[in-house]
Amino acid sequence: MNVPIIDPLQGDFPEVIEEFLQHGNMKCIAFNRRGTLLAAGCVDGSCVIWDFETRGVAKELRDKDCVAPITSVCWSKFGHHILASATDKSLTLWSVLSGEKIARVTLQQTTLLARLHPGSCTPSVCLACPLSSAPILVDLNTGSSTVLPVTMSDVGTGTTHPRNKFSDGSPPFTPTAATFNKCGDLIYVGNSKGEILIVDSKNIRVQAIIPIPGGSVIKNIVFSRNGQYLLTNSNDRVIRVYENLLSQKGAANELEEMSNASPVNEFQGIEKLKAVGSKCLILFREFQDAVTKMQWKAPCFSGDGEWVVGASANKGEHKLYIWDRVGHLVKILEGPKEALTDLAWHPVRPLVVSVSVAGLVYIWAKDYTENWSAFAPDFKELEENEEYIEREDEFDLVPDTEKVKESEINEDDEVDIMTVEKDSTFSDSEASQEELCFLPAIPSPDVPEQQDKYPASLSKLEESTHSGSPFSVEAGQNGQAHPASSPLEVVANSAAEDAAVNTGVKRKRKPSAKGLELEAEKGRKPPLSKLIKSMGKPSKAKVKLENAQDANDSVLDDAVTDEYI
Amino acid sequence: MSSAGDDLPAISPAYSLRTTLSGHKHAISSVKFSPDGSLLASASADKTLRLYSLSDPEIPFRAELTGHSEGISDLSFSSDGRLLCSASDDRTIRIWDLETSTLLKTLTGHTNLAFCCVFNPQSNMIASGAFDETVRVWDVKSGKCLRVLPAHSDPVTAVDFNRDGSLIVSSSYDGLCRIWDSSTGHCMKTLIDDESPPVSYVKFSPNGKFVLAATLDSTLRLWNFSTGKFLKTYTGHVNSKFCIPATFSVTNGKYIISGSEDNCVYLWELQTRKIVQKLEGHTGTVITVSCHPTENMIASGALGNDKTVKIWVQKDEESKED
Repeated sequence: MNVPIIDPLQGDFPEVIEEFLQHGNMKCIAFNRRGTLLAAGCVDGSCVIWDFETRGVAKELRDKDCVAPITSVCWSKFGHHILASATDKSLTLWSVLSGEKIARVTLQQTTLLARLHPGSCTPSVCLACPLSSAPILVDLNTGSSTVLPVTMSDVGTGTTHPRNKFSDGSPPFTPTAATFNKCGDLIYVGNSKGEILIVDSKNIRVQAIIPIPGGSVIKNIVFSRNGQYLLTNSNDRVIRVYENLLSQKGAANELEEMSNASPVNEFQGIEKLKAVGSKCLILFREFQDAVTKMQWKAPCFSGDGEWVVGASANKGEHKLYIWDRVGHLVKILEGPKEALTDLAWHPVRPLVVSVSVAGLVYIWAKDYTENWSAFAPDFKELEENEEYIEREDEFDLVPDTEKVKESEINEDDEVDIMTVEKDSTFSDSEASQEELCFLPAIPSPDVPEQQDKYPASLSKLEESTHSGSPFSVEAGQNGQAHPASSPLEVVANSAAEDAAVNTGVKRKRKPSAKGLELEAEKGRKPPLSKLIKSMGKPSKAKVKLENAQDANDSVLDDAVTDEYI
Repeated sequence: MSSAGDDLPAISPAYSLRTTLSGHKHAISSVKFSPDGSLLASASADKTLRLYSLSDPEIPFRAELTGHSEGISDLSFSSDGRLLCSASDDRTIRIWDLETSTLLKTLTGHTNLAFCCVFNPQSNMIASGAFDETVRVWDVKSGKCLRVLPAHSDPVTAVDFNRDGSLIVSSSYDGLCRIWDSSTGHCMKTLIDDESPPVSYVKFSPNGKFVLAATLDSTLRLWNFSTGKFLKTYTGHVNSKFCIPATFSVTNGKYIISGSEDNCVYLWELQTRKIVQKLEGHTGTVITVSCHPTENMIASGALGNDKTVKIWVQKDEESKED
């Protein structure tokens, strides 16, 4: 169906790349519930947790056992745990605050998508969708797993016989599809016959079946954040949005009752399941690109469920399509020429985060036009020229109608300075005290380049300055050694760039080359003089990388910042 | 030493002086209680910060933090009480570790005297205002300047975060208070009245809905910043030269507390706007006041020859008249 594009100015969706994050080679991402932290799984088996407010690395989860590339990351409901699945067939549960590995389970197959049970604060049960077989429920404490039924004909055996072949046939990007509902009491499984099975997560019984029109393999199945909508991405290149008719809490019981109630009770077997299914999900909209008929990858909802974003699965393309829930295509975002591997919409803000095959995370945000009336409240911004009709006495020397200046405010009115309004965006904020929204920010200590200015610095750093090469700016914040590839003559500027790169954030949209030129022009004297000293000992500078505590050359970075902002 | 309100509705029981802490060699610029109420910190023009421990009734001196090369104008505790940040005339903001009493980080970037600083509630960012007319937002972990807000056209006198850290309010001698979105740096609102006397201080109310602004015409105003209108006015004190902070006292009834250039600490009742007590005892302009988070305790610091920090508490018995 050909869809018109509505006026993009009206929407609350991202438009341009605001920034990108770089730290290692990231493959998959997940926001925590409130969108304050972003977890990214890397190719080296570690998980990086970004503080999304400061766009800096808040924590790294590393373990010597976990070295295989991560295929998916998932937060627990209140943000205390992260589940990561890797290509060595393992699932690892991490504690976010301590950074320690809590549990590790090895399965029969590599999991492509792992999801923690969303209902509990300390989840031990998770759903794992392997590459080409049925999804399984894994108990992380015991390591036992239960295979979920994928079709009614072979309940329990877990074998599937795909009718349609996967179009691109490349295994790493062909997930099987299953997801928990909002409370975790039901699991929605999408099978290769194009059916959605609703399985009770406690007794593993199929309670309902919903056949999808077209009957092609379901690649993704995703709920919106409030649980009201469900979308499926099928091999027939159509994204379908369903409305969830079950309530958010107690859905399993509701299903149970529905199965037993008449008129449904009159059916038997599959017919009964389909009848129940028709009361659970209703097809709402279908999205496809009629022109290019492309396959979709990683579709998801916006935080409020108003928008659907999907990425094109064509080779080497980094294109995001955004539809409104009614079905209009509102925007096509085109990114750099690197294939997209993962996509997530921020739970609250109109931001989209996409991961490219190069391991970078791109942040898409609204293109902001300055609201000038915020700066000068007595001015009104006009969209177009308006004819102004002045008052009769406006230009009189003594106007008859003096402006009424008495305040209409009764100063005796009660003012309440203490009550806080509840945040309506999150429905169950009653337990928000337990929620982990932020990791404590521990400032990484300064490297004292100008030691005369900072007499109160830590003694350990003073030792390293005495040995003559304080320039450990090449080291990353977490002590990762990066080779000082740039020649030392311009190390002041490129080290600033390197430091910025290595610490994971490039904040400036303008090309760094220009920055280097400007820096060189300005000729910041103190750091350059230090440079010339350390030029004689490049090897020592490299050795210092392991011992260095921090990449902070705040003087330089802020000098650079001064130029642009 | 202390006096209850004369012909005014008195606060009961009245505040009276408990201790005087001396030790600074020059004028005090700021005093703050830590969020857990266990520490008191004071900043001074003598380039040092002094920490006092409140767990001991003697309120002994605990540590001195040195490192700034010029006088200090403001200080702020992080929410967990482990870090302290200070703004100084040497154009830097410094972050101190309170367990070891050492300097952790120096944030450089302001091009003129740094005047005010504050941690956000999550304590991963610091906002600072300076005489260079900008507000800067810093990342605590790396020390990098995240944003430079083109806030005002005159020195920025105060910055504050609201309860969830999503908004920053800034005030300036140019007579404006501006509200900013802290995650994007965009200006949300400007509060302006007809006459625009220099705004010397601004602070969010505990619930983040109102803004208390002090102006150099000896007036305090409580604004509802969503409507852009002020709801309450507090007068009676003297404030035309210095940037004197005001604060909310909510531990035992709701009051507004401010220092004054007539050497007294003023207490107004929030709703009725009447002065309920004047605390006398300082011999210089009371340049700073702070309220303990849980107990009925007020700390004040003074300029000039005084150079002391005074602690005032409410006596449990009926109000005393000396």
